[in-house]
Parts: sequence; structure tokens; C-alpha cells
Amino acid sequence: MTSTNRFLNRLLVFVVGLVLLLAGGAVAAGALLADVKKNVSQSAKDATQPTSDALSGGQPWILWVTAVAALVLILLLLWFIFRQGRGRTNTLLEVAGGEGKGSPTGGTLTIDAKVAEQVLEESLARDPSIVSVDVSAFEVKKENVLRITAQTRRGVSPIEVRRSIDRAVADWDALLGTATPVVIQITGGLRSQLTGTSRVV
Amino acid sequence: MTTPGLYRRVVRRETHSSRSGIAIVLAVLLILVFAWIGVEAVLAALKQPALLASPKDAAVTILDAASAPVGLLTAAGAVVAVIGIILIIVALAPGRRGRRSASSDRTAALVDDRVIAQSIAGTASYAGDIEPDQVKVTVGKRSVDVDVTRTSGRTADLRSIQEAVDDELSSYDYSPSLRGKVRLSKEGTVA
Repeated sequence: MTSTNRFLNRLLVFVVGLVLLLAGGAVAAGALLADVKKNVSQSAKDATQPTSDALSGGQPWILWVTAVAALVLILLLLWFIFRQGRGRTNTLLEVAGGEGKGSPTGGTLTIDAKVAEQVLEESLARDPSIVSVDVSAFEVKKENVLRITAQTRRGVSPIEVRRSIDRAVADWDALLGTATPVVIQITGGLRSQLTGTSRVV
Repeated sequence: MTTPGLYRRVVRRETHSSRSGIAIVLAVLLILVFAWIGVEAVLAALKQPALLASPKDAAVTILDAASAPVGLLTAAGAVVAVIGIILIIVALAPGRRGRRSASSDRTAALVDDRVIAQSIAGTASYAGDIEPDQVKVTVGKRSVDVDVTRTSGRTADLRSIQEAVDDELSSYDYSPSLRGKVRLSKEGTVA
């Protein structure tokens, strides 16, 4: 439900994997081919002296450029980490105050996701096949979506649970006067493992 | 107001892994490596003693490694390449999360495979008049395997179990859809 950029996640994993594969493959294959190994180790030996000269103070700008590049990459990666898992919202619905005669409200109306949470949890708590309910709101494609997660008792029919939640949603729609998108998750989490199976069929 | 496109997007995203766990782990590792490189570079530029190895020593060590013994190089390269292949597979695989979806006009629903398995196990044990722990249900991508252990000296009514399971599966509107297969295991349990 979050707005995590999944393509970026997979791209990072793919690029790191590709770099490791190419580097490791080149080392392994190069070491096995005697000619390649001789050439490479020879030129590496030739390069040792100039490299160590450049890095030991002859060319200090290389070190500064390296440090700045490392800093930029670190900032990029931090941005990448902290933009994961966003998209939760506290507001479910906002109705702007209209102008003119026909408008229903004089001011802006904001309905908190908490309202939906309390109403739906209250009405679903009575269902014996549901152990616990969690309701939260997310912003998906500029629309606020309500997510209802229901943990079921072991062995209950997911169809029945769905039907009962759909009924609760219909009641909520009637109360709200409009329909916001709703996603239902029916899970068997830890609590449903610990509670007993449903006895009445 | 409620767009099917929105539900399609949510369902697609909730039934597949976001890969954020492994991406964050890799990002943290890269940050540590870059931080170390940056710190060493600054220390060397200011002519301060290095933390672990100065950039000069590190570069020379890497260049020297090219003349290391063949076996060592090949092994190290192969290990790194295998890690790379695993990461590429993780990046490209769909990463299904063991859920399936059903959408109505009003709501979209996502159901854990585990809930389906428990429900079918209950149906099968009720239909076959056997103890619930004599039924083992495995939900795969498109199939449900029901393994029934019969009580010693009694026959299990496989046909009615199969019918009940098929009945329940046909009442589902989940995608990907499921087909049921009931099997009787050879050993029996003592009642």
C-alpha cells in the first residue's frame, strides 16, 4: 500500500548483483586463463609505482574528489532508504467548502481516518470469526484508500469473513454518505495461530 | 470514484514483495563502504594516520592481488560472482507473497494462502469425519494438495472429501485460481 518505488529497489539490487557478477567473473576467468593472468599481473605491477605515488601526496586532489564522491553517494543512499514505506495518511476524506447557493457546506470538512477505524473496528469486533481488526488509510494515486486488515480465527472460511467485512463497509458507506476505495486483507497472523479453531460450523 | 485501475495497482503491489528489505541492507552496506573510503581519503589528504589502511596501501594491495595464486583468485572470483547471480535473480524474480486477490465492485480483497489452507483443512476433516490433525493442506501457486491420513482399520471417504474441497474451491473467486487434489497417505494413525 505504500508508495515505495519498487523499480528503484529492484534496480539497486540488480546493479549491485551485476557489478559483483562481472567483477567476480572477470577475476575467476582471468585467473584461469594463463595468458590473461600474466598480462594483467604484469601491468598491475607496472601500475603499482605510479598509483602509490599519486595517492601518497603527489596528487592530493584525487583524495578530495574521492571523499566528495563518497559523500554524494552516501547522501543518495540515505535518501533512498528514507523514502521507503511512505504513503500512510491520517486524513480519509476532505470536502472543500463550495461557493454559491447550492453548496452543501460553508467550510472545509475533513474526516480523519481514525473515524473509519473506530467505526469499522467496533462493528467487526462482534464477528466471532475475526480475532482482531486493523484499519489504516493510505494515499495511492492521489486517492485516499482505506485498508482493513482482519486476522481470522483458524479454519474460518475467507469467503464468510469477506462477506461480513463487506457488510461493515456498506454500513460505513451509508454513514459517510460517500464511498472511498477500500482494500481488505484477510490474514492468519500470529494471534490466529494462538487462538483455537472455530468450533461452530 | 473508485477506479478498477487503483485496485489493480494495490493488488499487484500487495501480492508481490517490494524487495525493500534487501535493498535497504545493500544500501546500508554501500553507505558503510563509501563512508570508510571517504574517511580514509580525507585522513590521507590531511596526512593523518589511517583508520584501517590508507588509500595508497589499499590500491597497492589490490594491484598485488593480481599476481596471487590461481586457485585463490578463481575461488574468490567465483564466490563473488555467485553472490552477484543470487542478487540478480532476486531483482528479477516476481517475489510472490503467498496471497491471492478477489475484487468486487466495491472493495478489493487479499487473502493469505494460509487462511485458505486452514479453511480447506476444516472442510475436509468435516466432510471425511476425521480428526483435524489428520488432514494436511498445502497451497501452491495454482493447486491445493490435501493429504489425508486415515485412521487404522477404517476407510476414509476420499470421494466426499474431494467433493467438499471442490465445492469450497468453486465458491472462491480468487486469482490465481486453485485446483484441489486429495491424496490418502499410506500409513494410518491409531485412533
